[in-house]
Amino acid sequence: MRRSVRTACALAALALAGCAAREVQFHRWPAETPAANNKADIARVQGVQAAAAAAARPVPPQTGSAAEPPSQPVEPDDAPSLQTYDPWARLNRFTYRFNARFDEAIFLPVANGYRRLVPSPLRAGVHNFFANLTEVDSVINYTLQGRLHRSVRSLGRFVINTTLGIGGLIDVAAKLVQLPYEPTGFGTTLAEWGMHPGPYLVIPLSGPSTFREGVGLAVDYATLYEINLADLYRGDQSWGLGVANAVDERANIDFRYYSTGSPFEYETIRFLIVRKQLIEDAGLHRAKPLPKPNHPEEPAGK
Amino acid sequence: MRLLATCALIACCSSSFAEPAPPQLPPAPGLATGLADTAALRATVFGTPPQDIAPLPESVPMLEMDLKLSWRRPVPQIFWFDKRLRVWFSAQKGPAPLAIIISGTGSDANTSKVSVLRAVLYGAGYHVLTMPSPTFPGFIVAASSTGIAGDLMQDGHDLYAAMGEVIAHLPKKAQITDVHILGYSLGGANAAIVKSIDDVEHKLHIHRAVMINPPVSLFATMGRLDKLYTVSLGNGDAGTERFYQQLYAALANAYRASGRVELDEDFLLGAAAAVLKTDAQFSAAIALSFRIALSNVFLAGDMYSGAGVVIDPAHPPKLGDSMEEIARILRSKTFAEYFTSIFAPYYLKLRPHETVDSLIAQNRLEIIGDRLRLGSDYYCLTNSDDLILDRAELAWLEKTLATRIAVYDHGGHLGNLGDRQQAADLLAMLDGRWQGGR
Repeated sequence: MRRSVRTACALAALALAGCAAREVQFHRWPAETPAANNKADIARVQGVQAAAAAAARPVPPQTGSAAEPPSQPVEPDDAPSLQTYDPWARLNRFTYRFNARFDEAIFLPVANGYRRLVPSPLRAGVHNFFANLTEVDSVINYTLQGRLHRSVRSLGRFVINTTLGIGGLIDVAAKLVQLPYEPTGFGTTLAEWGMHPGPYLVIPLSGPSTFREGVGLAVDYATLYEINLADLYRGDQSWGLGVANAVDERANIDFRYYSTGSPFEYETIRFLIVRKQLIEDAGLHRAKPLPKPNHPEEPAGK
Repeated sequence: MRLLATCALIACCSSSFAEPAPPQLPPAPGLATGLADTAALRATVFGTPPQDIAPLPESVPMLEMDLKLSWRRPVPQIFWFDKRLRVWFSAQKGPAPLAIIISGTGSDANTSKVSVLRAVLYGAGYHVLTMPSPTFPGFIVAASSTGIAGDLMQDGHDLYAAMGEVIAHLPKKAQITDVHILGYSLGGANAAIVKSIDDVEHKLHIHRAVMINPPVSLFATMGRLDKLYTVSLGNGDAGTERFYQQLYAALANAYRASGRVELDEDFLLGAAAAVLKTDAQFSAAIALSFRIALSNVFLAGDMYSGAGVVIDPAHPPKLGDSMEEIARILRSKTFAEYFTSIFAPYYLKLRPHETVDSLIAQNRLEIIGDRLRLGSDYYCLTNSDDLILDRAELAWLEKTLATRIAVYDHGGHLGNLGDRQQAADLLAMLDGRWQGGR
């Protein structure tokens, strides 16, 4: 097994070296689907319009955290500075470059091949299957966050999709019962408990994040490993499952490293990732005083 | 992996202002910028509403081509990912004319705007080849013979040479019956220049050229955008930071009110209209996007020319070095500074007979005025409220192109790209069916 993996890696390296020397490289991508994309855009705009119209109407009181009014609005002065706390910058930059090279050489071509060769309904089934597995983690973490109604909802989705949805291949809960997929993880739980995102962190193979989300990812994985649902997370089958999960996720992400062509891409992504997390934190703490946006020891970005 | 998804979301929303457009709300009252009215600014920021887009095909094949070009200059370490020119080709199954699209300022060959044009043209039966702007860092590093972008004729020659290489390497089974070229924004001017070069050199046999929302004078346009930046954000970093703080607070409040569990693309699209409301905010967003594009051009130009404005030529940044301070300095650098400290010194040294005034004059479409006036295969689509043109420049375009121009009342800069009327007119021009009259 290990020998075959090594042989495959060596062949891949030789092939890549050969490709790199060629004057012209060709990469066939999955076809664009402009008509369907435009249709989805129109539907999305209509959804936004409907939501805006609904928001303009007076709403009766509801239960649950989503209905709690924000304690105080976020003011411009509450925004974190333009600089980002990145004490591990050199390591992070190295990891970002490694991720970019790995993605370009292996991950993206495999994901593109998957998108080109596997029919869309089958890919949707695979995607639903993996999404359904994460509901277990969502049930636990929504409970830890004290959001019991969401925990019950995730549990309901899991039960419905595992049974009626044939092991999770069909998202029956979203289609028939209007229970949309809204996953959560331990990173969000830590945020709910008041933990600051911490330093910026680029995780190998996974991508840009923060220390808190990195811890969250590790705990999420450990949780699923411990539960070991249907014995999927241990033994040889776990490797296949992990690879399939990674390919499915990559195939559903429309991002390409350095497509900006800019040497400032690392700084730009770092800036945006951390602001996104801070805004999400502000959403979690909507009925509480706003957590201090900057890390207390945040120095000038490096 | 979900973190990579975040990058995707961010890249999508930061590369071009919130596309597709959010719901059309009544224009909010705002500060006048003196350059364009609210509707024009709004259209420029939000782009064509998806419901107004022309009918598009179900499927468009995508072949990426990455070329190593022989005239490429040495690649600075920090541009290691830009060694190859990246273009995209969509082939019809049978013989068909080829349409070459050139991107706008600072953009690569696969933006959402390119994607709309590609779909319209592919749906009409064209092979489509998309090229990056000569001001895109990936072009400057991989395909520019100087590294100093912004000279219309020099960029045109670099584009022309690159297109020759690309076309020579297209898949053999793609049967090309005719060649046309088009571009939007700066890419529109680039397209006309490339055709004018081909009219002399006859290597690619380009038949028709269509400019979409082109500038007439590159330097006047960039000066106008410098002014827009100053008016809306001020001269230093303070205005930019204040604008960012306002956007952050507005976005955070919208997010808090939404009750969502994740800041996703749907939320951002919905929030865009709530976050950007006034003329001042629209102007700031437009000015900032051009300034970000300029940062890359400035940096590459500084490194290739050795001017030493931002980068010490003896100690250029290396792989792994922080770029934050350089980015901060470049945010306050105007196009005028690029011209005076990098562009003009470089080209005056290269062409000793030139003067600063003649360099400026050479970066106007007037340098091919006679061809535009007399050649029957040059066309233009633009808007009367395009903020990169003043009245005199629009009048010059109308006078020069006579019946070969369509001017729409509204749309700002590219705010009607790919809408039904514009797409129909574009196809009529490329097909040679255009009768004029709009």
